[in-house]
Amino acid sequence: MAHLFDQTIRSAADGLKSGAFSSTELTKAYLSQIRGIDLSIHAFLDVFEGTALDQAHASDERRATGKTQGVLDGIPLAIKDNILIQDHRSTAGSQILANYRAPYDATVITKLRNAGSVFLGKTNMDEFAMGSSTERSAFGPTKNPRDPERVPGGSSGGSAAAVAADMAIASLGSDTGGSIRQPASFCGIVGFKPSYGSVSRSGLMAMASSLDQIGPMTKTVEDAAVLFEAIRGVDVLDQTTKDFGEVKYETRTDLKGVRIGVPRQAWGKGMTDGVREDAEAALKTMEEAGAELVDIDLPYADEALAVYYVLMPCEVSANLSRFDGMRFGQRETRPTLLETYQQSRGEGLGEEVRRRVMLGSYALSKGYYDAYYRQARKVQTLIRRAYSAAFENVDVIVTPTAPSTAFKIGEKLSDPLAMYLEDVYTVGANVAGIPAISVPCGTAEGLPVGIQFQGKMGGDGALLSIARVFEHVNL
Amino acid sequence: MALTREEIVRLADLSRLSLTEAEMKRMEDTIDRVLTYVGRLSEIDTTGIPETEGDLEVRLRTDVVQATPELERTAIISNFPDKVGNSLRVPGVFEKPKG
Repeated sequence: MAHLFDQTIRSAADGLKSGAFSSTELTKAYLSQIRGIDLSIHAFLDVFEGTALDQAHASDERRATGKTQGVLDGIPLAIKDNILIQDHRSTAGSQILANYRAPYDATVITKLRNAGSVFLGKTNMDEFAMGSSTERSAFGPTKNPRDPERVPGGSSGGSAAAVAADMAIASLGSDTGGSIRQPASFCGIVGFKPSYGSVSRSGLMAMASSLDQIGPMTKTVEDAAVLFEAIRGVDVLDQTTKDFGEVKYETRTDLKGVRIGVPRQAWGKGMTDGVREDAEAALKTMEEAGAELVDIDLPYADEALAVYYVLMPCEVSANLSRFDGMRFGQRETRPTLLETYQQSRGEGLGEEVRRRVMLGSYALSKGYYDAYYRQARKVQTLIRRAYSAAFENVDVIVTPTAPSTAFKIGEKLSDPLAMYLEDVYTVGANVAGIPAISVPCGTAEGLPVGIQFQGKMGGDGALLSIARVFEHVNL
Repeated sequence: MALTREEIVRLADLSRLSLTEAEMKRMEDTIDRVLTYVGRLSEIDTTGIPETEGDLEVRLRTDVVQATPELERTAIISNFPDKVGNSLRVPGVFEKPKG
């Protein structure tokens, strides 16, 4: 059964095509892996033993009759629990949705179903995607497969751990401020946040609607591109999706002619020595592969975190107002309607969620709206302009993904601001809407370090092509 | 710029949230820290800078009534915290005592 593990989407697709194994064998192997090790990692909130095997059988039948849907047909995937899969539980890591049954498939799920994929189950996450460690899940934390005393990162920690521990060939996560990239970095896998508007958010429980994107978490950059192709596209159900045209991938074997922007704001203080060593080595590798390193100034980049922690809580406070215990979710009935709302939300929503809702209410309230929300929107314009200007002179911008390697469980829980600072390199891409990918670049004291590539809006193909070369030359 | 207990209580009220005494205390400290941090944005000169609009192109579509698929309907109804038959039951909005 060992030959069934250590697969990428590519290698598994080849194996299925050649008849080396069937999707049923592959799925059974991953389900048994989950049964064997997930008790200690807790990447999954729900495992779909029954339906996964049904999907695998259907895939094998299609293969037998020459009706394979493509490279993803029969491939077992894990899905973050804020993405709806019809008729299965979807909790977003929250107590308030502990018994919520998804009424419909997210668009990305419909697309993956049509592609013949197998859904192994739903993965653990920080509640409503609010967190950088998966410690804020109402159902207990996920452990980092590299070191179970450490966090896998967040909020897509379950999806990251599932792939890193080979409990799934690939997974989907969501990223609003770094929630795909940072856990990918902490767990030593690839995590890609596409350009805003590339992938439909229909069926993704909304955190900050102007920043959220679903994206792949995979073992290789090539796998990320395969999954991205399957899930992207304009969707009538999501008015924020855009037509970026055909995604242009480049066939390159080196980085000759590639200009890599190294923003001095990011490369100053704020990263640990271990991260710096590996990240600087990665830059050297890129140079050796033919890239030109360009020192750039990214004005206002230092303000992206503050902009994010104003805009995101504001949108969160609006998006989470639907969790009032009325039509779905936990309802705590009290003598008055107001108390019913307060208790339902007070008991069903965790502390970090309530903190961000309150921050948002504050920043949007009369007397503070201009100083906080409006000002943040203006600084966002300055940041977007800074990135656009930078991309006139460089092809990609590179920074470490996270300022540190995976920290210990409990280490940053008492200081929310310390936790928020984990996002310092990742939020820029969300605020600017641009695509960004984290690729493993080494280890520091045995823990994975990720390097982040950011591309221009709509330049996902070029970004993935460059990241792929780095991945290959860095081996 | 420290947030008073009164302000926290008002915020919780605005947000329709309940907090225990211990949570209230933690919120006072933590919300204040975050507001101080994001307050750095006020130092930035944004004269003449427009707010990011996003490039949303409003694509309206005709409102066509479609029957909800059975599976979807069953799931929606199963999620009702309280129901009478297939109808959602909610506390009366105009019941006394009013909150």
